[in-house]
Amino acid sequence: MSVLVDIQHVSKQYKEAPRPAVSDLSMMIQKGDVFGLLGPNGAGKTTLISMLCGLFPPSSGKIYINGHTHETHSRESKQVIGVVPQEIALYPKLTAWENLMFLGHMYGLKGASLKEKIKENLSVLGLEANMHQKIISYSGGMKRRVNLIAGLLHDPQLLILDEPTVGVDVQSKQAIIDRLKALNREKGMTILYTSHHLEEAEDFCNYIAIIDHGKLITQGKTKELIAENNSSSIEEVYLKITGNNFRDK
Amino acid sequence: MKLLYSLYKEYKVLIRDKAGLAITFIMPTVLILIMTLIQDSTFKSVNESSVPLLFVDRDHDSLSETLEKYITNSKFFLITKKQLTNAEVKKEIAQGHFFIGIIVPENTSKKLRERSTARVAKLLNSFSGDTTETAEKTDTSMIRLNLFFDPITKKSFKTTISNSIERIISQIEMQGMVSALNDKMRESFPDANPSPMENTPLVSVTEEYASYNNSTIIPNAVQHNVPAWTLFAMFFICIPLAGNIIKEREDGSAFRLLTMPGSYFIVILGKLLTYTIVSLIQFALMLSVGLFILPLLGMPQLNIGDNLPLLFLIALSAGLAATGFGLLVGTVATTHDQASLFGAVFIIILAAIGGVWVPTFVMPDIMKTISVISPLNWGLESFYAVFIRNSSLKEIWPEILKLWLFFLATITGAYLFQKYKRLK
Repeated sequence: MSVLVDIQHVSKQYKEAPRPAVSDLSMMIQKGDVFGLLGPNGAGKTTLISMLCGLFPPSSGKIYINGHTHETHSRESKQVIGVVPQEIALYPKLTAWENLMFLGHMYGLKGASLKEKIKENLSVLGLEANMHQKIISYSGGMKRRVNLIAGLLHDPQLLILDEPTVGVDVQSKQAIIDRLKALNREKGMTILYTSHHLEEAEDFCNYIAIIDHGKLITQGKTKELIAENNSSSIEEVYLKITGNNFRDK
Repeated sequence: MKLLYSLYKEYKVLIRDKAGLAITFIMPTVLILIMTLIQDSTFKSVNESSVPLLFVDRDHDSLSETLEKYITNSKFFLITKKQLTNAEVKKEIAQGHFFIGIIVPENTSKKLRERSTARVAKLLNSFSGDTTETAEKTDTSMIRLNLFFDPITKKSFKTTISNSIERIISQIEMQGMVSALNDKMRESFPDANPSPMENTPLVSVTEEYASYNNSTIIPNAVQHNVPAWTLFAMFFICIPLAGNIIKEREDGSAFRLLTMPGSYFIVILGKLLTYTIVSLIQFALMLSVGLFILPLLGMPQLNIGDNLPLLFLIALSAGLAATGFGLLVGTVATTHDQASLFGAVFIIILAAIGGVWVPTFVMPDIMKTISVISPLNWGLESFYAVFIRNSSLKEIWPEILKLWLFFLATITGAYLFQKYKRLK
């Protein structure tokens, strides 16, 4: 396997924050991995993902996406990435079809191939019958499924998922996870997944990294990580490493 | 293609936002209708005829008849004739039924004739050395007419009215003197057959509005309110636009768009173009209100001059300035409430300063000086120039340039603020 994401000694210090959000963090994501990025609230996950997506640069260190940095090759780096934010990043007064057509065009797709891709994804995730309804009329699970499709339209090499199954019913959650597994298996899509559902992460991810206070605490293949820490689950490993204290600000 | 789809998306979002549409199109229409109807009488009192005047004629002779004829012909007053006592006249004026009351006392004409004859006789007698005869027999004191004014009448307006009436009376007085002189001359030269003396004015004043292309259009409530409230509505677009930007930021759409190669710039450009087009549609709609709806309500029709391309350029410049401001508000404000409050208050202040509510030509000097800082004033002055003075681009380019500079300053400000936040 080759490296898709290479994070080298990355730090991020916000101007008014007392300590860095991310501190000298290094790790690699191999092509084809389903990489679980876990950590308590305020651990630095969102900051790290934002830097991976090129929203802002690190204060120090380098991030390589498929061999390119956002600073020198923003277009090439961004073309590799698909993002599924935690929020339902859709226009509620547009239909699912209109939302996906708009986002597809923004990814540079067009014509019959875009329409085919949208139809295929809607069909796989059980939304074909409702595709001309406004998003505002959708249930939480339906919105999450459209939110996922929006990140998949341009067949990204790296799909970044921020809590993709939060607040959805079991059926929708299963549909989303099944679709992601299929994409990883059939297309070799690399997935970076963050969640507080540790059981879901253990089932879904083949590789897990746990960060806290902006630092990488541990990382490894899921099963090896459980074994190395003499635990029975990732949740047990997580609590051993990050402790039981609340992380209120 | 990306830009076209971005425009299409903004169009769809806008067309399905009922509240946004109401703010964008219905609010300015209602404002124009209400404000024009409210301000019509105020503008008329400054500009047009129909100052209500109560005329009490107790003379019923040549002076009162001539005075009434002159007042009617001046087309400045709306005369109502009544037979009332002085106290009743005062009451009518005090109650606001009339701006002015004129009472012509009994025998005024008779007294004028007697006094004119006496003065002429005195003058002619002075040539023969007799200076006492007529003065002893006739009362030559001033004849007094009573004028009553509404207490709310401004001093300058009162002076104008008084001067007009005094001018009319002077003419009547002069005619009386000429007539008396004529009679005396006939007495002195009974066999002569003189031609009648011409009494037409020897000097007349030509008044003309100093406008281009010989246009003499007087500003009225329609010509003020239509462009004024159209500009207000154009700038009010900053609220839905800022809200649109903030909503995209809050729901993660901006995050997603920022992760796409080159797309966020296209999306922002799409927003700027869409909202600028909306502001042009607003402009066309408001012009239609001035051209077709207001006349149906008894208001004058909006005169838009004959330079439509220049009107389009002014509207485009104002629309860009407004959308640029909306972009800046949407970038700087962190919440929808903040953007709505700040945007609304700021636009209301700029509108007040810029002469939207109260035209700058009735503002005190200090406010006239301050008004030039408002982009709404730049737009309004440009519209006035085209509607009222038929100006060309040569005369209004500084105002247009200011609007474009404001647009560039706001989008640069938004870009720099976004960059600052990104690096923070």
